[in-house]
Amino acid sequence: MSLDIFSQYLINCLMLGMIYAMVAVGFTLFFGVLDVIQFAHGDVLMAGGFGALVAYAATQAVGIANSWVQLLLMVVSTTVMTAALGALVARFLVLPLRNAPPLNTLLITLMMGMVLREAVRLVYPNGSNPQPFPSLLPHDAWRVGGLDLRVDSLILLVVGLLLIAGLHLLITRSKLGLAIRAVAQDGETARVMGINFNRIVLLTFGLGSAMGALGGVMRGLYYTEITFDVGLLLGVIGFAAAILGGLGNLYGAILGGFLFAVLQAIGAVALPVLLPDFPSAYKDVFAFTVVIVLIGWKPTGLIAEKTSERV
Amino acid sequence: MALLSVQGIHTAYDRVNVLHDVSLDVEPGKITCILGSNGSGKTTLIRSILGLTPPNQGDIVFEGASLVRLPTHEIIARGIACIPEGRRIFPKMTVEENLRTGAYRLSDSAEITRRAMQVYELFPRLKERRTQLAGTMSGGEQAMVSMGRGLMGKPKMLIIDEPSLGLSPLYVKENFRIIREINGMGITVLLVEQNVRQTLVIAHHGYVLSQGRMAASGTTEELSADAEVQAAYFG
Ligand SMILES: Nc1ncnc2c1ncn2[C@@H]1O[C@H](COP(=O)(O)OP(=O)(O)OP(=O)(O)O)[C@@H](O)[C@H]1O
Ligand SMILES: [Mg+2]
Repeated sequence: MSLDIFSQYLINCLMLGMIYAMVAVGFTLFFGVLDVIQFAHGDVLMAGGFGALVAYAATQAVGIANSWVQLLLMVVSTTVMTAALGALVARFLVLPLRNAPPLNTLLITLMMGMVLREAVRLVYPNGSNPQPFPSLLPHDAWRVGGLDLRVDSLILLVVGLLLIAGLHLLITRSKLGLAIRAVAQDGETARVMGINFNRIVLLTFGLGSAMGALGGVMRGLYYTEITFDVGLLLGVIGFAAAILGGLGNLYGAILGGFLFAVLQAIGAVALPVLLPDFPSAYKDVFAFTVVIVLIGWKPTGLIAEKTSERV
Repeated sequence: MALLSVQGIHTAYDRVNVLHDVSLDVEPGKITCILGSNGSGKTTLIRSILGLTPPNQGDIVFEGASLVRLPTHEIIARGIACIPEGRRIFPKMTVEENLRTGAYRLSDSAEITRRAMQVYELFPRLKERRTQLAGTMSGGEQAMVSMGRGLMGKPKMLIIDEPSLGLSPLYVKENFRIIREINGMGITVLLVEQNVRQTLVIAHHGYVLSQGRMAASGTTEELSADAEVQAAYFG
Protein backbone atom coordinates (compact mmCIF):
# COMPACT_ATOMS: atom_id res chain seq x y z
CA MET A 1 0.00 0.00 0.00
CA SER A 2 1.34 3.42 -0.85
CA LEU A 3 1.95 5.93 1.89
CA ASP A 4 -0.68 8.17 0.38
CA ILE A 5 -3.41 5.60 0.60
CA PHE A 6 -2.27 4.61 4.05
CA SER A 7 -2.52 8.19 5.28
CA GLN A 8 -5.98 8.43 3.81
CA TYR A 9 -7.08 5.32 5.68
CA LEU A 10 -5.51 6.70 8.81
CA ILE A 11 -7.35 10.01 8.59
CA ASN A 12 -10.58 8.27 7.72
CA CYS A 13 -10.15 5.95 10.66
CA LEU A 14 -9.42 8.81 13.07
CA MET A 15 -12.41 10.72 11.76
CA LEU A 16 -14.80 7.82 12.19
CA GLY A 17 -13.33 7.04 15.61
CA MET A 18 -13.94 10.59 16.69
CA ILE A 19 -17.53 10.54 15.45
CA TYR A 20 -18.21 7.19 17.15
CA ALA A 21 -16.59 8.44 20.35
CA MET A 22 -18.82 11.50 20.34
CA VAL A 23 -21.90 9.31 19.99
CA ALA A 24 -20.70 6.76 22.56
CA VAL A 25 -20.06 9.49 25.13
CA GLY A 26 -23.80 10.19 25.18
CA PHE A 27 -24.73 6.57 25.87
CA THR A 28 -22.21 6.40 28.65
CA LEU A 29 -23.31 9.69 30.26
CA PHE A 30 -26.97 8.67 30.18
CA PHE A 31 -26.19 5.29 31.66
CA GLY A 32 -23.95 6.95 34.22
CA VAL A 33 -26.58 9.25 35.68
CA LEU A 34 -29.70 7.10 35.34
CA ASP A 35 -28.60 3.53 34.59
CA VAL A 36 -30.67 3.60 31.43
CA ILE A 37 -30.03 2.97 27.78
CA GLN A 38 -31.45 5.73 25.63
CA PHE A 39 -31.91 4.01 22.31
CA ALA A 40 -33.27 7.07 20.54
CA HIS A 41 -29.82 8.66 20.86
CA GLY A 42 -28.77 7.80 17.30
CA ASP A 43 -31.99 9.24 15.91
CA VAL A 44 -31.70 12.38 18.02
CA LEU A 45 -28.39 12.88 16.21
CA MET A 46 -29.99 12.29 12.85
CA ALA A 47 -32.65 14.86 13.73
CA GLY A 48 -29.82 17.21 14.66
CA GLY A 49 -28.22 16.65 11.27
CA PHE A 50 -31.45 17.46 9.47
CA GLY A 51 -31.93 20.43 11.77
CA ALA A 52 -28.56 21.67 10.56
CA LEU A 53 -29.74 21.26 6.96
CA VAL A 54 -32.83 23.33 7.70
CA ALA A 55 -30.63 25.98 9.32
CA TYR A 56 -28.44 25.95 6.21
CA ALA A 57 -31.45 26.44 3.97
CA ALA A 58 -32.57 29.29 6.23
CA THR A 59 -29.19 31.02 5.93
CA GLN A 60 -29.45 30.75 2.15
CA ALA A 61 -32.99 32.08 2.20
CA VAL A 62 -31.93 35.20 4.09
CA GLY A 63 -28.93 35.64 1.82
CA ILE A 64 -26.03 34.75 4.09
CA ALA A 65 -23.30 33.52 1.78
CA ASN A 66 -20.23 33.36 4.01
CA SER A 67 -19.70 29.65 4.61
CA TRP A 68 -18.15 30.18 8.08
CA VAL A 69 -21.20 32.11 9.21
CA GLN A 70 -23.45 29.45 7.73
CA LEU A 71 -21.51 26.74 9.51
CA LEU A 72 -21.62 28.60 12.79
CA LEU A 73 -25.38 29.06 12.57
CA MET A 74 -25.84 25.39 11.67
CA VAL A 75 -23.73 24.24 14.59
CA VAL A 76 -25.40 26.55 17.07
CA SER A 77 -28.91 25.65 15.99
CA THR A 78 -28.28 21.92 15.91
CA THR A 79 -26.61 22.04 19.32
CA VAL A 80 -29.54 23.88 20.86
CA MET A 81 -32.09 21.72 19.10
CA THR A 82 -30.61 18.33 19.99
CA ALA A 83 -29.84 19.40 23.55
CA ALA A 84 -33.49 20.35 23.93
CA LEU A 85 -34.62 17.13 22.25
CA GLY A 86 -32.40 15.02 24.50
CA ALA A 87 -33.63 16.83 27.60
CA LEU A 88 -37.24 16.37 26.47
CA VAL A 89 -36.70 12.64 25.98
CA ALA A 90 -35.26 12.51 29.50
CA ARG A 91 -38.07 14.59 30.97
CA PHE A 92 -41.02 12.86 29.36
CA LEU A 93 -39.83 9.34 28.53
CA VAL A 94 -36.96 8.39 30.81
CA LEU A 95 -37.52 10.10 34.17
CA PRO A 96 -41.18 9.06 34.48
CA LEU A 97 -40.09 5.45 34.02
CA ARG A 98 -37.39 5.59 36.67
CA ASN A 99 -39.09 3.04 38.88
CA ALA A 100 -40.17 0.80 36.04
CA PRO A 101 -38.05 -2.11 34.80
CA PRO A 102 -35.10 -0.84 32.67
CA LEU A 103 -36.37 -2.83 29.69
CA ASN A 104 -39.37 -0.49 29.50
CA THR A 105 -37.06 2.50 29.08
CA LEU A 106 -35.15 0.68 26.41
CA LEU A 107 -38.33 -0.18 24.54
CA ILE A 108 -39.92 3.25 24.79
CA THR A 109 -36.77 5.03 23.59
CA LEU A 110 -36.41 2.51 20.78
CA MET A 111 -39.92 3.41 19.65
CA MET A 112 -39.19 7.11 20.08
CA GLY A 113 -36.22 6.66 17.75
CA MET A 114 -38.45 5.06 15.16
CA VAL A 115 -40.95 7.91 15.44
CA LEU A 116 -38.16 10.48 14.89
CA ARG A 117 -36.80 8.52 11.92
CA GLU A 118 -40.12 8.09 10.19
CA ALA A 119 -41.16 11.66 10.95
CA VAL A 120 -38.05 13.01 9.23
CA ARG A 121 -38.57 10.69 6.31
CA LEU A 122 -42.17 11.85 5.90
CA VAL A 123 -41.78 15.54 6.63
CA TYR A 124 -38.46 16.40 5.02
CA PRO A 125 -38.85 16.97 1.27
CA ASN A 126 -37.83 13.78 -0.52
CA GLY A 127 -36.78 12.47 2.90
CA SER A 128 -36.47 8.83 1.85
CA ASN A 129 -33.43 9.59 -0.27
CA PRO A 130 -29.98 10.69 0.82
CA GLN A 131 -29.79 14.45 1.21
CA PRO A 132 -26.72 16.37 0.15
CA PHE A 133 -24.97 17.93 3.13
CA PRO A 134 -23.29 21.26 2.23
CA SER A 135 -19.53 20.99 2.18
CA LEU A 136 -18.64 24.25 3.81
CA LEU A 137 -15.05 23.71 4.86
CA PRO A 138 -12.13 24.78 2.64
CA HIS A 139 -11.14 22.12 0.14
CA ASP A 140 -7.44 22.96 -0.10
CA ALA A 141 -4.91 20.26 0.45
CA TRP A 142 -1.47 20.69 1.93
CA ARG A 143 1.39 18.63 0.64
CA VAL A 144 3.42 17.51 3.61
CA GLY A 145 6.30 15.09 3.05
CA GLY A 146 4.70 13.51 0.01
CA LEU A 147 1.25 13.29 1.57
CA ASP A 148 -1.88 15.19 0.67
CA LEU A 149 -3.52 16.45 3.80
CA ARG A 150 -6.98 17.84 3.26
CA VAL A 151 -7.63 20.96 5.27
CA ASP A 152 -11.29 20.07 5.89
CA SER A 153 -10.34 16.73 7.41
CA LEU A 154 -7.74 18.38 9.61
CA ILE A 155 -10.20 20.99 10.82
CA LEU A 156 -12.75 18.32 11.66
CA LEU A 157 -10.18 16.25 13.52
CA VAL A 158 -8.89 19.20 15.53
CA VAL A 159 -12.39 20.41 16.37
CA GLY A 160 -13.42 16.89 17.40
CA LEU A 161 -10.40 16.56 19.68
CA LEU A 162 -11.10 19.97 21.20
CA LEU A 163 -14.72 18.99 21.86
CA ILE A 164 -13.68 15.76 23.56
CA ALA A 165 -11.04 17.61 25.60
CA GLY A 166 -13.64 20.25 26.48
CA LEU A 167 -16.06 17.58 27.67
CA HIS A 168 -13.28 16.07 29.78
CA LEU A 169 -12.59 19.47 31.39
CA LEU A 170 -16.29 20.08 31.95
CA ILE A 171 -16.72 16.74 33.70
CA THR A 172 -13.56 16.91 35.79
CA ARG A 173 -13.21 20.64 36.55
CA SER A 174 -16.57 22.37 36.51
CA LYS A 175 -19.28 22.48 39.11
CA LEU A 176 -21.73 20.93 36.65
CA GLY A 177 -19.24 18.10 36.13
CA LEU A 178 -18.97 17.61 39.88
CA ALA A 179 -22.75 17.32 40.10
CA ILE A 180 -22.91 14.92 37.15
CA ARG A 181 -20.29 12.70 38.75
CA ALA A 182 -22.04 12.86 42.11
CA VAL A 183 -25.37 11.85 40.55
CA ALA A 184 -23.65 9.06 38.62
CA GLN A 185 -21.85 7.65 41.64
CA ASP A 186 -24.73 7.89 44.12
CA GLY A 187 -27.87 9.72 43.05
CA GLU A 188 -29.52 9.65 46.44
CA THR A 189 -26.51 11.06 48.27
CA ALA A 190 -26.16 13.67 45.53
CA ARG A 191 -29.66 14.84 46.43
CA VAL A 192 -28.73 14.92 50.10
CA MET A 193 -25.85 17.24 49.15
CA GLY A 194 -28.42 19.68 47.79
CA ILE A 195 -27.99 18.78 44.13
CA ASN A 196 -31.16 19.10 42.08
CA PHE A 197 -31.23 15.58 40.71
CA ASN A 198 -33.76 16.08 37.92
CA ARG A 199 -32.06 19.21 36.69
CA ILE A 200 -28.68 17.48 36.47
CA VAL A 201 -30.26 14.54 34.62
CA LEU A 202 -31.83 16.91 32.07
CA LEU A 203 -28.57 18.81 31.63
CA THR A 204 -26.67 15.55 31.19
CA PHE A 205 -29.09 14.33 28.53
CA GLY A 206 -28.86 17.70 26.82
CA LEU A 207 -25.08 17.63 26.96
CA GLY A 208 -24.77 14.06 25.69
CA SER A 209 -27.24 14.68 22.87
CA ALA A 210 -25.56 17.90 21.75
CA MET A 211 -22.18 16.19 21.79
CA GLY A 212 -23.52 13.41 19.59
CA ALA A 213 -25.23 15.89 17.26
CA LEU A 214 -21.93 17.67 16.73
CA GLY A 215 -20.53 14.27 15.83
CA GLY A 216 -23.43 13.92 13.37
CA VAL A 217 -22.69 17.31 11.79
CA MET A 218 -19.03 16.35 11.49
CA ARG A 219 -20.10 13.17 9.75
CA GLY A 220 -22.32 15.17 7.38
CA LEU A 221 -19.51 17.58 6.54
CA TYR A 222 -17.12 14.68 6.00
CA TYR A 223 -19.35 12.57 3.75
CA THR A 224 -21.37 15.54 2.39
CA GLU A 225 -24.48 13.43 2.67
CA ILE A 226 -27.05 12.47 5.28
CA THR A 227 -29.86 9.92 5.29
CA PHE A 228 -32.91 9.64 7.53
CA ASP A 229 -31.70 6.30 8.88
CA VAL A 230 -28.11 7.34 9.61
CA GLY A 231 -28.92 7.22 13.33
CA LEU A 232 -29.63 3.52 13.21
CA LEU A 233 -26.11 2.32 12.44
CA LEU A 234 -24.49 5.26 14.24
CA GLY A 235 -26.55 4.47 17.32
CA VAL A 236 -25.66 0.79 17.31
CA ILE A 237 -21.98 1.54 16.76
CA GLY A 238 -21.93 4.22 19.45
CA PHE A 239 -23.68 1.86 21.83
CA ALA A 240 -21.25 -0.94 21.01
CA ALA A 241 -18.34 1.45 21.58
CA ALA A 242 -19.75 2.51 24.94
CA ILE A 243 -20.24 -1.11 26.03
CA LEU A 244 -16.78 -2.00 24.76
CA GLY A 245 -15.21 0.67 26.92
CA GLY A 246 -17.36 -0.19 29.93
CA LEU A 247 -20.77 1.51 29.99
CA GLY A 248 -20.68 4.49 32.32
CA ASN A 249 -16.98 5.12 31.79
CA LEU A 250 -16.32 8.28 29.79
CA TYR A 251 -12.81 7.41 28.67
CA GLY A 252 -13.87 3.87 27.92
CA ALA A 253 -16.48 5.21 25.51
CA ILE A 254 -13.92 7.37 23.73
CA LEU A 255 -11.49 4.48 23.53
CA GLY A 256 -14.29 2.19 22.34
CA GLY A 257 -15.20 4.62 19.55
CA PHE A 258 -11.68 4.75 18.19
CA LEU A 259 -11.27 1.00 18.63
CA PHE A 260 -14.37 0.34 16.56
CA ALA A 261 -13.07 2.57 13.78
CA VAL A 262 -9.75 0.73 13.84
CA LEU A 263 -11.56 -2.59 13.57
CA GLN A 264 -13.53 -1.30 10.59
CA ALA A 265 -10.33 -0.12 8.96
CA ILE A 266 -8.68 -3.48 9.52
CA GLY A 267 -11.76 -5.15 8.10
CA ALA A 268 -11.67 -2.91 5.04
CA VAL A 269 -7.93 -3.03 4.35
CA ALA A 270 -6.30 -6.06 5.82
CA LEU A 271 -8.92 -8.73 5.31
CA PRO A 272 -9.26 -8.48 1.53
CA VAL A 273 -5.48 -8.90 1.37
CA LEU A 274 -5.48 -11.96 3.60
CA LEU A 275 -8.69 -13.48 2.28
CA PRO A 276 -8.98 -12.51 -1.39
CA ASP A 277 -12.73 -13.17 -1.56
CA PHE A 278 -13.55 -10.97 1.40
CA PRO A 279 -15.31 -7.86 0.08
CA SER A 280 -14.48 -4.68 2.00
CA ALA A 281 -18.20 -4.07 2.50
CA TYR A 282 -17.94 -6.74 5.19
CA LYS A 283 -15.87 -4.44 7.35
CA ASP A 284 -18.81 -3.82 9.69
CA VAL A 285 -19.46 -7.55 9.99
CA PHE A 286 -15.83 -8.02 10.89
CA ALA A 287 -15.83 -5.15 13.41
CA PHE A 288 -19.02 -6.30 15.11
CA THR A 289 -17.74 -9.88 15.26
CA VAL A 290 -14.59 -8.73 17.02
CA VAL A 291 -16.70 -6.60 19.38
CA ILE A 292 -18.80 -9.66 20.25
CA VAL A 293 -15.64 -11.63 20.98
CA LEU A 294 -14.18 -8.79 23.05
CA ILE A 295 -17.36 -8.40 25.07
CA GLY A 296 -17.45 -12.15 25.62
CA TRP A 297 -13.92 -11.89 26.90
CA LYS A 298 -14.46 -8.77 29.04
CA PRO A 299 -18.19 -8.61 29.78
CA THR A 300 -17.96 -5.36 31.77
CA GLY A 301 -15.91 -3.56 29.14
CA LEU A 302 -12.23 -3.12 28.49
CA ILE A 303 -11.86 -0.57 31.27
CA ALA A 304 -13.32 -2.81 33.93
CA GLU A 305 -14.89 -1.24 36.96
CA LYS A 306 -16.93 -2.33 39.87
CA THR A 307 -20.56 -1.67 39.07
CA SER A 308 -20.85 0.88 41.86
CA GLU A 309 -18.17 3.10 40.42
CA ARG A 310 -18.88 5.25 37.44
CA VAL A 311 -18.07 8.40 35.48
CA MET B 1 -39.60 27.03 69.73
CA ALA B 2 -38.21 23.82 68.31
CA LEU B 3 -35.94 24.15 65.27
CA LEU B 4 -37.39 20.97 63.79
CA SER B 5 -40.72 19.52 64.71
CA VAL B 6 -41.90 16.18 63.38
CA GLN B 7 -45.63 15.93 63.95
CA GLY B 8 -47.37 12.57 63.85
CA ILE B 9 -45.86 11.22 60.66
CA HIS B 10 -46.61 7.88 59.04
CA THR B 11 -44.07 6.64 56.51
CA ALA B 12 -44.15 3.57 54.29
CA TYR B 13 -41.92 1.83 51.75
CA ASP B 14 -44.12 0.49 48.96
CA ARG B 15 -47.16 0.34 51.23
CA VAL B 16 -45.31 -1.46 54.03
CA ASN B 17 -45.87 0.90 56.95
CA VAL B 18 -42.69 1.53 58.88
CA LEU B 19 -43.35 4.64 60.96
CA HIS B 20 -46.60 5.03 62.88
CA ASP B 21 -47.58 8.40 64.31
CA VAL B 22 -44.04 9.49 65.10
CA SER B 23 -43.43 12.92 66.64
CA LEU B 24 -40.19 14.55 67.72
CA ASP B 25 -38.82 18.01 68.51
CA VAL B 26 -35.26 19.16 68.00
CA GLU B 27 -34.33 22.15 70.15
CA PRO B 28 -31.97 24.69 68.59
CA GLY B 29 -28.35 24.48 69.69
CA LYS B 30 -28.80 21.09 71.33
CA ILE B 31 -27.86 17.51 70.55
CA THR B 32 -30.97 15.37 70.21
CA CYS B 33 -30.51 11.64 69.86
CA ILE B 34 -32.72 8.88 68.48
CA LEU B 35 -32.23 5.46 70.03
CA GLY B 36 -33.78 2.19 69.00
CA SER B 37 -32.85 -1.32 68.05
CA ASN B 38 -32.06 -2.47 64.50
CA GLY B 39 -34.97 -2.01 62.15
CA SER B 40 -36.94 0.19 64.53
CA GLY B 41 -37.21 2.96 61.92
CA LYS B 42 -34.49 5.45 62.84
CA THR B 43 -33.12 5.76 59.31
CA THR B 44 -36.64 5.88 57.91
CA LEU B 45 -37.38 8.84 60.18
CA ILE B 46 -34.31 10.62 58.82
CA ARG B 47 -35.27 9.76 55.25
CA SER B 48 -38.70 11.24 55.94
CA ILE B 49 -37.18 14.50 57.15
CA LEU B 50 -34.91 14.67 54.09
CA GLY B 51 -37.76 13.99 51.68
CA LEU B 52 -36.15 10.79 50.40
CA THR B 53 -39.08 8.71 51.65
CA PRO B 54 -41.73 11.36 52.29
CA PRO B 55 -44.34 10.66 54.96
CA ASN B 56 -47.88 10.04 53.76
CA GLN B 57 -49.44 11.60 56.84
CA GLY B 58 -48.40 14.20 59.39
CA ASP B 59 -46.16 17.23 59.07
CA ILE B 60 -42.50 18.09 59.38
CA VAL B 61 -41.78 21.71 60.24
CA PHE B 62 -38.36 23.36 60.11
CA GLU B 63 -38.03 26.96 61.35
CA GLY B 64 -41.78 27.31 61.14
CA ALA B 65 -42.15 26.12 57.54
CA SER B 66 -43.31 22.70 56.37
CA LEU B 67 -40.80 20.47 54.59
CA VAL B 68 -43.30 17.87 53.48
CA ARG B 69 -43.47 17.42 49.71
CA LEU B 70 -40.44 19.60 49.06
CA PRO B 71 -37.79 17.93 46.90
CA THR B 72 -34.69 16.93 48.84
CA HIS B 73 -32.43 19.65 47.43
CA GLU B 74 -34.86 22.32 48.63
CA ILE B 75 -34.98 20.79 52.10
CA ILE B 76 -31.18 20.91 52.17
CA ALA B 77 -31.35 24.53 51.04
CA ARG B 78 -33.30 25.41 54.20
CA GLY B 79 -30.13 24.72 56.20
CA ILE B 80 -30.09 20.98 56.85
CA ALA B 81 -27.17 18.65 56.15
CA CYS B 82 -26.85 14.93 56.65
CA ILE B 83 -24.10 12.45 57.30
CA PRO B 84 -25.93 9.44 55.96
CA GLU B 85 -25.95 5.90 57.26
CA GLY B 86 -23.05 3.98 55.77
CA ARG B 87 -21.18 7.27 55.10
CA ARG B 88 -21.98 7.18 51.38
CA ILE B 89 -18.89 9.06 50.26
CA PHE B 90 -18.43 9.42 46.50
CA PRO B 91 -15.82 6.71 45.92
CA LYS B 92 -14.40 7.96 42.63
CA MET B 93 -13.94 11.52 43.78
CA THR B 94 -10.97 12.84 45.68
CA VAL B 95 -11.34 13.91 49.30
CA GLU B 96 -11.36 17.52 48.16
CA GLU B 97 -14.07 16.92 45.57
CA ASN B 98 -16.17 15.08 48.15
CA LEU B 99 -15.94 18.12 50.38
CA ARG B 100 -16.92 20.37 47.49
CA THR B 101 -20.12 18.40 46.93
CA GLY B 102 -21.01 19.25 50.53
CA ALA B 103 -20.81 22.94 49.64
CA TYR B 104 -22.65 22.45 46.35
CA ARG B 105 -25.19 25.15 47.06
CA LEU B 106 -22.44 27.73 47.53
CA SER B 107 -20.84 29.50 44.57
CA ASP B 108 -18.27 31.69 46.33
CA SER B 109 -15.09 29.69 45.73
CA ALA B 110 -13.05 31.63 48.32
CA GLU B 111 -15.64 30.72 50.94
CA ILE B 112 -15.59 27.07 49.84
CA THR B 113 -11.81 27.00 50.24
CA ARG B 114 -12.10 28.64 53.66
CA ARG B 115 -14.59 26.02 54.82
CA ALA B 116 -12.43 23.21 53.48
CA MET B 117 -9.56 24.63 55.55
CA GLN B 118 -11.76 24.50 58.64
CA VAL B 119 -12.61 20.86 57.90
CA TYR B 120 -8.91 20.09 57.46
CA GLU B 121 -8.27 21.69 60.84
CA LEU B 122 -10.81 19.36 62.38
CA PHE B 123 -9.45 16.34 60.46
CA PRO B 124 -5.75 16.90 59.72
CA ARG B 125 -5.60 13.44 58.18
CA LEU B 126 -7.90 14.58 55.37
CA LYS B 127 -5.57 17.41 54.50
CA GLU B 128 -2.73 14.95 53.90
CA ARG B 129 -5.04 12.89 51.71
CA ARG B 130 -6.68 15.75 49.83
CA THR B 131 -6.05 14.29 46.39
CA GLN B 132 -6.67 10.64 47.24
CA LEU B 133 -9.74 8.91 45.83
CA ALA B 134 -12.13 8.55 48.76
CA GLY B 135 -13.08 5.00 47.76
CA THR B 136 -9.53 3.84 48.42
CA MET B 137 -9.47 5.08 52.02
CA SER B 138 -10.03 3.15 55.25
CA GLY B 139 -13.43 3.09 56.94
CA GLY B 140 -12.33 5.54 59.59
CA GLU B 141 -11.00 7.97 57.00
CA GLN B 142 -14.17 7.66 54.95
CA ALA B 143 -16.14 8.53 58.08
CA MET B 144 -14.05 11.71 58.34
CA VAL B 145 -14.78 12.53 54.70
CA SER B 146 -18.49 12.04 55.29
CA MET B 147 -18.42 14.22 58.42
CA GLY B 148 -16.36 16.90 56.73
CA ARG B 149 -18.66 16.89 53.72
CA GLY B 150 -21.66 17.36 56.02
CA LEU B 151 -20.02 20.38 57.61
CA MET B 152 -19.13 22.08 54.32
CA GLY B 153 -22.69 23.35 53.91
CA LYS B 154 -22.57 25.19 57.28
CA PRO B 155 -25.98 23.75 58.18
CA LYS B 156 -28.23 25.01 60.94
CA MET B 157 -29.05 21.40 61.69
CA LEU B 158 -26.81 18.41 61.06
CA ILE B 159 -28.36 14.95 60.97
CA ILE B 160 -25.93 12.14 61.73
CA ASP B 161 -26.94 8.50 61.20
CA GLU B 162 -24.76 5.92 62.97
CA PRO B 163 -21.40 7.59 62.35
CA SER B 164 -19.40 5.02 64.28
CA LEU B 165 -20.88 1.90 62.73
CA GLY B 166 -18.08 -0.52 61.98
CA LEU B 167 -15.33 1.69 63.35
CA SER B 168 -12.64 0.77 65.85
CA PRO B 169 -13.17 1.99 69.46
CA LEU B 170 -10.53 4.65 68.95
CA TYR B 171 -12.42 6.19 66.03
CA VAL B 172 -15.70 5.87 67.91
CA LYS B 173 -14.32 7.91 70.79
CA GLU B 174 -12.91 10.46 68.35
CA ASN B 175 -16.30 10.67 66.64
CA PHE B 176 -18.06 11.59 69.85
CA ARG B 177 -15.48 14.27 70.54
CA ILE B 178 -16.01 15.71 67.06
CA ILE B 179 -19.79 15.68 67.38
CA ARG B 180 -19.48 17.64 70.59
CA GLU B 181 -17.13 20.06 68.89
CA ILE B 182 -19.56 20.49 65.99
CA ASN B 183 -22.35 21.23 68.45
CA GLY B 184 -20.01 23.67 70.19
CA MET B 185 -19.81 25.64 66.92
CA GLY B 186 -23.52 26.31 67.33
CA ILE B 187 -24.79 23.61 64.99
CA THR B 188 -27.90 21.77 66.16
CA VAL B 189 -27.38 18.00 65.97
CA LEU B 190 -29.85 15.19 65.44
CA LEU B 191 -27.92 12.02 66.18
CA VAL B 192 -28.66 8.35 65.63
CA GLU B 193 -26.18 6.16 67.46
CA GLN B 194 -25.72 2.61 68.60
CA ASN B 195 -23.36 3.36 71.46
CA VAL B 196 -26.14 4.24 73.84
CA ARG B 197 -24.04 5.01 76.89
CA GLN B 198 -21.75 7.48 75.17
CA THR B 199 -24.64 8.98 73.25
CA LEU B 200 -26.60 9.66 76.41
CA VAL B 201 -23.52 11.39 77.81
CA ILE B 202 -23.15 13.93 75.01
CA ALA B 203 -26.82 14.42 74.01
CA HIS B 204 -29.32 16.71 75.72
CA HIS B 205 -32.60 15.14 74.64
CA GLY B 206 -33.43 11.68 73.47
CA TYR B 207 -36.17 9.69 71.79
CA VAL B 208 -36.56 5.94 71.72
CA LEU B 209 -38.11 4.29 68.68
CA SER B 210 -39.50 0.80 68.92
CA GLN B 211 -41.04 -0.97 65.95
CA GLY B 212 -41.80 2.29 64.22
CA ARG B 213 -43.44 3.97 67.22
CA MET B 214 -42.07 6.48 69.66
CA ALA B 215 -41.66 4.45 72.87
CA ALA B 216 -40.04 7.00 75.17
CA SER B 217 -38.59 10.48 75.20
CA GLY B 218 -37.08 12.97 77.58
CA THR B 219 -33.85 14.55 78.67
CA THR B 220 -30.94 12.18 78.56
CA GLU B 221 -30.86 12.14 82.39
CA GLU B 222 -34.46 10.99 82.41
CA LEU B 223 -33.81 8.36 79.75
CA SER B 224 -30.77 7.03 81.57
CA ALA B 225 -32.93 6.53 84.63
CA ASP B 226 -35.93 5.13 82.74
CA ALA B 227 -36.44 1.51 83.68
CA GLU B 228 -37.62 0.43 80.23
CA VAL B 229 -34.72 2.05 78.45
CA GLN B 230 -32.43 0.54 81.02
CA ALA B 231 -33.89 -2.88 80.34
CA ALA B 232 -33.69 -2.47 76.57
CA TYR B 233 -30.16 -1.16 76.37
CA PHE B 234 -28.20 -1.77 79.49
CA GLY B 235 -29.67 -5.07 80.59
N1 LIG C 1 -35.77 0.59 51.22
C1 LIG C 1 -36.61 -0.13 52.00
N2 LIG C 1 -37.64 -0.81 51.45
C2 LIG C 1 -38.47 -1.55 52.23
N3 LIG C 1 -38.36 -1.64 53.54
C3 LIG C 1 -37.36 -1.00 54.16
C4 LIG C 1 -36.42 -0.21 53.41
N4 LIG C 1 -35.52 0.32 54.27
C5 LIG C 1 -35.89 -0.12 55.49
N5 LIG C 1 -36.99 -0.90 55.43
C6 LIG C 1 -37.66 -1.53 56.56
O1 LIG C 1 -38.08 -0.51 57.42
C7 LIG C 1 -37.87 -0.87 58.77
C8 LIG C 1 -37.08 0.20 59.47
O2 LIG C 1 -35.80 0.28 58.87
P1 LIG C 1 -34.76 1.43 59.23
O3 LIG C 1 -33.63 1.29 58.30
O4 LIG C 1 -35.47 2.71 59.29
O5 LIG C 1 -34.32 1.00 60.70
P2 LIG C 1 -33.13 1.55 61.59
O6 LIG C 1 -33.71 1.85 62.90
O7 LIG C 1 -32.40 2.64 60.91
O8 LIG C 1 -32.22 0.26 61.72
P3 LIG C 1 -30.62 0.15 61.83
O9 LIG C 1 -30.29 0.37 63.27
O10 LIG C 1 -30.35 -1.25 61.40
O11 LIG C 1 -30.01 1.17 60.93
C9 LIG C 1 -37.19 -2.22 58.76
O12 LIG C 1 -38.16 -3.22 59.02
C10 LIG C 1 -36.69 -2.37 57.37
O13 LIG C 1 -36.73 -3.72 56.96
MG1 LIG D 1 -30.51 2.87 60.24
